[in-house]
Amino acid sequence: MSAQYAHNVQRIDMAPAVADKAMRQGVMASSAITIDNLTKRFPAPGSGDEFVVLKDISLTVDDGKFVSIVGPSGCGKSTLLNVIAGIESYDGGAVAIHPKAGSAGSGPRIGYVFQSPRLLNWLTVENNINFVLEAHKVPRSRWRDLVAKNLAMVGLAGQERNYPLNLSGGMQQRVAIARALAIEPDILLMDEPFSHLDAITARKMRFDLMEILERAKPTILFVTHDLSEAVFLSDHIYMMSTKPAQIFKHVAIDIPRPRKPEDARVFDLEKELVREFFSVVEAKG
Amino acid sequence: MRAKSTKHRTLASLSRALPGVLTLAAGIVVWQVVSLFFLPVFLPGPAILVERMVAIYSNPASYLVVGETLLQIFEGFVVSMVIGTALGLVMGLKRSIELFFDSWIMVLLTFPAVCWAFLSVLWFGLSQIAAIVTIVLIVFPFVAMNIWAGTKAIEKNLIEMGRVYKADRSLMLRKVLIPQLMPYIFSSLRIALSLSWKIALVAEAFGTGGGVGQRLTNWFQETRVDMMLAWGVSFMIVMVLIDLLVFRAWARRTFAWRPQLAT
Repeated sequence: MSAQYAHNVQRIDMAPAVADKAMRQGVMASSAITIDNLTKRFPAPGSGDEFVVLKDISLTVDDGKFVSIVGPSGCGKSTLLNVIAGIESYDGGAVAIHPKAGSAGSGPRIGYVFQSPRLLNWLTVENNINFVLEAHKVPRSRWRDLVAKNLAMVGLAGQERNYPLNLSGGMQQRVAIARALAIEPDILLMDEPFSHLDAITARKMRFDLMEILERAKPTILFVTHDLSEAVFLSDHIYMMSTKPAQIFKHVAIDIPRPRKPEDARVFDLEKELVREFFSVVEAKG
Repeated sequence: MRAKSTKHRTLASLSRALPGVLTLAAGIVVWQVVSLFFLPVFLPGPAILVERMVAIYSNPASYLVVGETLLQIFEGFVVSMVIGTALGLVMGLKRSIELFFDSWIMVLLTFPAVCWAFLSVLWFGLSQIAAIVTIVLIVFPFVAMNIWAGTKAIEKNLIEMGRVYKADRSLMLRKVLIPQLMPYIFSSLRIALSLSWKIALVAEAFGTGGGVGQRLTNWFQETRVDMMLAWGVSFMIVMVLIDLLVFRAWARRTFAWRPQLAT
């Protein structure tokens, strides 16, 4: 029914999957992304050698879920997102994105919110969103509604005609989120989207993102180095170590929403994960 | 609020223009004083120059002469911009093409302009085509090099964004690449125009066509510096006006999104 879309058909390196059985069953139900034993190498600068950036990464993101990958800076999290987004190749394993049943067009729709907003500053807010709608061949008749709906969703109703440079950093990032949601993505990739914002703005953005989740119900793969952010936002967390990037723990979080960052359960889980995280990451050096 | 900011901007631009206006005025005064010691046909003062210009432009035929030259400049300028922009763009975007044309651009840039003028006359005769070819051969390498440099400054991040959202080649060019090149395109436009008109006058003086250049030659043969200056200066004024009224205004509109640079 929903045609499987694979970026790359090569399937080598088929070691036993790391993902647990429960997750496997989830795949059968309705997953947005499945990644199997993904391996990616980069040529090492200076020598002819290669070093492994991503090693045997396996994970699943189910429809409508918020999944975080937490790892230290420079561990290859962004590379992983770029592989999923199809702008970076990989050397082994498989990445499959499953378009939602009934979604029009060819191939999966991927929304991507980068660390910096990456807006086209010479276009108005509206035209920045129109850019991705045009790229995804969304009928022109729907543009106006999609722009208005998604700007309202991120709290920027009425900013259609404004230029990005007239907006604050937080507002620019909201436009980037609206842009990603406008194409009604099968999967929304977020790469430390709040790391460039000041603490107060970032906190507000996290609350607002929770609210957006309630309404738009997107499937999100979120990358961060901030465990408290991940615990607060996610349904699942994958913890990643560095050199090479490997997933060493998967946690399902069933704290009911709406959550508060001050909630004792959020705090306790965070403490526990921080302890484990550093014991693994520091042991690896 | 808008009225206030416009007023502010007008005041600010007036105070910025003031030093320039003062030196210009001082220069004109010195020129007038010095000219009193010479015959007007050898060194005319500003007053006499204005008189001569009025005399020239009260003859309707003069406008045809100017028009003829402007047409030539325009043709050479447009062709140079199109070839130069296209070449600069592909050189910046395709490594293989860059390697291929890299040294050719340098060859063209260093080839003596006067050789092009002679060669064009030999190849195309004393015609308008010769003048236009001369302009194009001299101007387009400058444009290509400028646009090529501009492509080096393109933000890779935005290209990546476009690729993630599956923008096709045309959308990428229109909305991501060209807008980032606009500052380079504008500087190319202005360089191209100022080079084009100077080359056009030289080419006309060689005898390739009528136009202002030929008038200059005629007056040169009669050793009338006053008339040569009257033609030259009036033509310069036309070109400065084109720069101010067309390019600056266009740039202001294009860069409206960048408030701090819109002057």
